[in-house]
Amino acid sequence: MVCKDLRSFLELLESENQLLRISEPVLPEPDIGAAASAVNRGFGDTAPALLFENIKGFESAKLALNVHGSWCNMALMMGLPKDTPLKALFQEFCRRYQNFSKGTIEEKKTAPWQEVTITENINLFELMPHFRLNPGDGGLYINKASVVSRHPDHPDSFDQQNVGMYRLQVKGPAQLSGQFVPEHDIALHFQAAERENKPLPIAIAVGNDPMLSIVASMPLLYDQDEYQMASALNEEPYPVVTLENGLQVPWGAEFILEGHVLPGVREPDGPYGEFTGHLSGLRNMVSIEITKVSHRKNPVYEYTAIGMPWTEIDYMFLNTCPPLYVQLKDKFPEIEAVNALYTHGLVVIVSTRIRVGGFGKAVGMSVLTTPHGLGYAKVVIVVDDFVDPFNLPQVMWAISTKVNPKYDVVVIPELSVLPLDPGSEPPGMTHKMIIDASTPARPEKHGEYSMQVMDPPEAKDWLPKLQALMQQH
Amino acid sequence: MDTSTAPICPRCESSSTLVRFESPVAGVWTLFGCNACLFTWRSTEPATITDPKLYPARFKVKLEHLKDIPVMPAIVSPGS
Repeated sequence: MVCKDLRSFLELLESENQLLRISEPVLPEPDIGAAASAVNRGFGDTAPALLFENIKGFESAKLALNVHGSWCNMALMMGLPKDTPLKALFQEFCRRYQNFSKGTIEEKKTAPWQEVTITENINLFELMPHFRLNPGDGGLYINKASVVSRHPDHPDSFDQQNVGMYRLQVKGPAQLSGQFVPEHDIALHFQAAERENKPLPIAIAVGNDPMLSIVASMPLLYDQDEYQMASALNEEPYPVVTLENGLQVPWGAEFILEGHVLPGVREPDGPYGEFTGHLSGLRNMVSIEITKVSHRKNPVYEYTAIGMPWTEIDYMFLNTCPPLYVQLKDKFPEIEAVNALYTHGLVVIVSTRIRVGGFGKAVGMSVLTTPHGLGYAKVVIVVDDFVDPFNLPQVMWAISTKVNPKYDVVVIPELSVLPLDPGSEPPGMTHKMIIDASTPARPEKHGEYSMQVMDPPEAKDWLPKLQALMQQH
Repeated sequence: MDTSTAPICPRCESSSTLVRFESPVAGVWTLFGCNACLFTWRSTEPATITDPKLYPARFKVKLEHLKDIPVMPAIVSPGS
């Protein structure tokens, strides 16, 4: 069952015991950040979402946090049982991802967010319960928005539309600053507008159906449409509404903000605690003017929990695995699975059958040259096909027994990486490392691996028996 | 905007500060902003955020350094 909006997903989470309502009065700071940190640190992989219903100072604001913050919640988002094992989640995600061409958009004429429309005296401080998440953050941020833009030379072209998750700082009643990393599509769109000294129209959707947030933060190719990908992953048409300015926005959003990015203007923004678990520093960033706000009655504001990992954002990085898996599998049919969860793929673990001596390192190098590898993949660990890359104790076993650093560790100097990597020096440059933790294959001769213990084939018949016995208790 | 009742910025210590927003439920908190470094803070935050003497040294901002902070993305000149 696909949740077409945030509210229906919150209802689903609650029915599965994956949502906690915080009805006690909380202060925006430090309570919201403290609760977010506690729910991730205390509950781990099964953490519930939090719905704050009583934020001091606001009359009736509602805030959802940690909506994606556990494998249980991610499984429920995909319409799977909440205890679906991680490798099975990955495989199902990949299966749907590869059906991208089957995705379709459904144009709707009206949407629930049209219930309330404001074009004068817009006050973002009043409309949403903003707060500082992490000490050191420069102020109040919107960090779970899907931002829609088009290339100004192609305003009618659906193929030139981008939906991306870019953080926004609330600077004034109708003013935001935004982080447009130069490699991202919105920066390309804005540069084209700025070159003509024209503002770039954008739409900002907040409080979205759960799949959109996953797609908006996913490494897609430039001409892959995000709404089509959301449809493919949901396995049903994705509903959108077309605004007067031609931009298509999600039908299921709680808030739609319309405005434009100002040409030639930059202003200090930050610092902000990022998915790297470190704050990125003050930078002069773009300025956005908001001219219209639409929202559902009693809107639910949504924010991503970010802090010292793991927090909500780390679970969302399941979205990094399928593109890498498909790109590697296209070259090497032996690829079994790819775990690119760690800090959006700064560490990647690839499981593969080993074709021949040296194959593991070739697969490792192949990760480095994928599009996403250009900004990430600082440490690549290659394991055999019978090692589950999502089973970290098993991966550690592989490293502990199959690695002889004399042969199996390769460091490649001076490669590109995202500047937000705090280890990069200068920001944007790093050495990268391949750890070949696969069993050496002929003609490679080092180590003595001919007598590895494997799971007996009869074990798979025993598992359902043991599980049924457990149910009887 | 009433600038006279806003305290100095805890982050850069400029006095060019103002009230950005008062809590919709009156008297609960006030949001302040700094026009110099664009920091925002709330009256109800812990002293380590609101007090310039306690704001962590690693996050403090020197106004004279603001002109040197990186620009992202680079400004594209019209016609270039």
